[in-house]
Amino acid sequence: MSTIALHDEHNHDHADHGHHKETLISKYIFSMDHKMIAKQFLITGIIMAVIAMGLSILFRIQLAWPDKNFPFLETFLGKWAEGGRIKPDFYLALVTIHGTIMVFFVLTAGLSGTFSNLLIPLQIGARDMASPFLNMLSYWFFFMACVIMMSSFFIQTGPASGGWTVYPPLSVVAKAMPGSGMGMTLWLVSMVLFVASSLMGGINYVSTILNMRTKGMDLWKMPLTIWAFFLTAILGILSFPVLVAGVVLMVFDRSFGTSFYLSDIVMGTDILPNEGGSPILWQHLFWFLGHPEVYIVIMPALGISSEVISVNSRKPIFGYHAMVYSLIGITVLSFIVWGHHMFVTGMNPLLGGVFMITTLIIAVPSAVKTFNYLATLWRGNIRFTPAMLFAIGLVSFFISGGLTGIFLGNASLDINLHDTYFVVAHFHLVMGSAAIFGMLAGVYHWFPKMFGRMMNAKLGYLHFWLTFIAAYLVFFPLHFLGLDGVPRRYYAFTEFEFMKKWLTVNVFVTWAAIMAALAQVAFLFNFFYSIFKGKVAPQNPWESNTLEWTAPVEHLHGNWPGEIPTVYRWPYDYSKPGHDADFIPQTVPFSQTMSSNLPHDFEGNAEAEKIQQDWELANPVEENKG
Amino acid sequence: MVLTMEKMQDTFDPKPRKFIVWLFVVSSTIMFGGFTSYYLVFAASKGKGHGLVLPDAFIYSSLVIIASSITLVLASRALKKLNFSLQRNLLWVTVILAVIFGVMQFNAWGSMVRTGATLVGNNAAISFIYVVSGMHLLHILGGVGLIINALAGSYKSLPVAKVQYRMEIASIFWHFIDILWIYLYVFLLLNR
Repeated sequence: MSTIALHDEHNHDHADHGHHKETLISKYIFSMDHKMIAKQFLITGIIMAVIAMGLSILFRIQLAWPDKNFPFLETFLGKWAEGGRIKPDFYLALVTIHGTIMVFFVLTAGLSGTFSNLLIPLQIGARDMASPFLNMLSYWFFFMACVIMMSSFFIQTGPASGGWTVYPPLSVVAKAMPGSGMGMTLWLVSMVLFVASSLMGGINYVSTILNMRTKGMDLWKMPLTIWAFFLTAILGILSFPVLVAGVVLMVFDRSFGTSFYLSDIVMGTDILPNEGGSPILWQHLFWFLGHPEVYIVIMPALGISSEVISVNSRKPIFGYHAMVYSLIGITVLSFIVWGHHMFVTGMNPLLGGVFMITTLIIAVPSAVKTFNYLATLWRGNIRFTPAMLFAIGLVSFFISGGLTGIFLGNASLDINLHDTYFVVAHFHLVMGSAAIFGMLAGVYHWFPKMFGRMMNAKLGYLHFWLTFIAAYLVFFPLHFLGLDGVPRRYYAFTEFEFMKKWLTVNVFVTWAAIMAALAQVAFLFNFFYSIFKGKVAPQNPWESNTLEWTAPVEHLHGNWPGEIPTVYRWPYDYSKPGHDADFIPQTVPFSQTMSSNLPHDFEGNAEAEKIQQDWELANPVEENKG
Repeated sequence: MVLTMEKMQDTFDPKPRKFIVWLFVVSSTIMFGGFTSYYLVFAASKGKGHGLVLPDAFIYSSLVIIASSITLVLASRALKKLNFSLQRNLLWVTVILAVIFGVMQFNAWGSMVRTGATLVGNNAAISFIYVVSGMHLLHILGGVGLIINALAGSYKSLPVAKVQYRMEIASIFWHFIDILWIYLYVFLLLNR
């Protein structure tokens, strides 16, 4: 009733909560509603993922059949595939942009941008982000970054092609190769916008989580998704600025002729004037971001799968506190391991040893998480929804890819394995496939929350099994190429005697990759079809405890009509003994669940414990009642 | 449903947004941390730094920016006493000091160029001085923007809580870039 009175006090000056009159533009384009921004991030991320996947199929075709001509390639790519064969320069551009898009645009912005935006306000019980305006800006910077990155396919010299790590001198000396020219400039501009977008997003997420939780939602009652997004955002805030520092110096080297990263370079007969700089310093600055970046990619996926696995096992997540502490452990450790990307740069072996130890210690929190997932599944009342399958798939990839990390983290083994297909296989499993599966799990699980409709489960199963099998068929064989010393990024396996025997494997891998790509058609159809024609979603389709499912299905700016719900318990009360339903939402007070309360639920509140004891005396448990 | 929508117009809470400014300060600190650690590693591996006697203009600009922080503190105090005209005047003084700071920085670069220590050259440590002071100057631009925002709030006679909020975020940021410049200057003095 009191809400009626408030209507007239509507404060028009308060533009950030602007829902004055929704027009097409303010609702769908320059929206400041976190739910709409989440959808914008997701759909942009999906489009970028499809593009990056297409690029990977192109270079897989080259790897499998380096001597064959495919006239259709020339139709699409023109001079970059003259005679139907991809040119070496363009091949390098393909792997570079595939990596850049996947790591930054899909698995950073597409993943964090989507789920942090959607779930942070909904799961902590807030009306919106701390600054909806910055949030909107964050999406549009990301969008511009995507457009600029893609625009490099429409210039004559092609996109950047020095690898997604853009090591100097290839990235700095504009004449080094075609991709070092305009394409590299566009790459840098795009990344500057991207970093700005990430920072605006991350700062917003952290501030929202720390300041805007609803009543009763203390930190230890937050779902693991929120913990993961929170720590991911902190990683971004602390590591992306270092990349900015590195990129600024790179821009000066490229455009003004300074020598931060350049020294003693001879091109043909030209001796470049630059002296005194060091390309290794770029590697330090890049990997100080680059390593936390891989955790920025995987941690939201881990958070999502924690939630999905617990909900669909109908069991509390095993080791909630351990899960949080291991995320914190990963966050802290990720800042002191970057040197393991640089073991072969002539690093002092003692320093290499230090980086090796810190790197291997990361296995501990990672293993804690893995075992906790397995223990949560153990004897659970499992519901194999598509989201659940993808979450289990994440655990599988995280294990099989994580194991090879132990090899690569070892400084002496890395001397052999560095820059081979072993590395490619490792990270495509542990952060590529695992994070993509976490993201897909999130899409299937929260699709009803985003669009108010359900995705088709049968297509979801088809999508899962084809993708899961194909991903292993693609990446598992690559380990053996790496062990044989086959270097990554090489254009034609026919050019080297020792690599020729791997051609047949490449053909196999390419067919598996094509199968994986086709499997995504099932997803894309399901996704876009269900937005409009899917079955209408009930309020809480997965019988989940978290706060987002208490908000009405139809979206409203502000998330909840009336009061924001109060939180009384942690989010993992599934199958609690003594309770009639197998889930108790966070909004249910203990006074309504007297039959299932446990002593530690009251956190030492003597009065509540007394009430509970009195109740238990008055209502003795009837045993063997059947 | 319509009437309940208004419930979300919770009272103006500046805390989360002030926190955003603090987080920006953190990330900016990290960026300059990245720059200066580049410099440290670079200088250590070459066994030499920029090797310059820094131009005097940097001393004057340091004094000017400290003065601007003081005027900003005084402006905040004036606002607390709800003395809006004094607050505005002091904010204008701060803006003028900021402009003087900028001019001083250009002056310093000019005198470096005259001695031959140019941005483009083979001593990355010297180029570094231009880059960090330039990046800092960009922050000054942002800071001036925030101060003007506070001024505008004061002139538009927004509710006091909002004027105060704008004043506070301007202060957080401005004192930060003041301290940042002192750090950079001392860093460059110590690591010749």
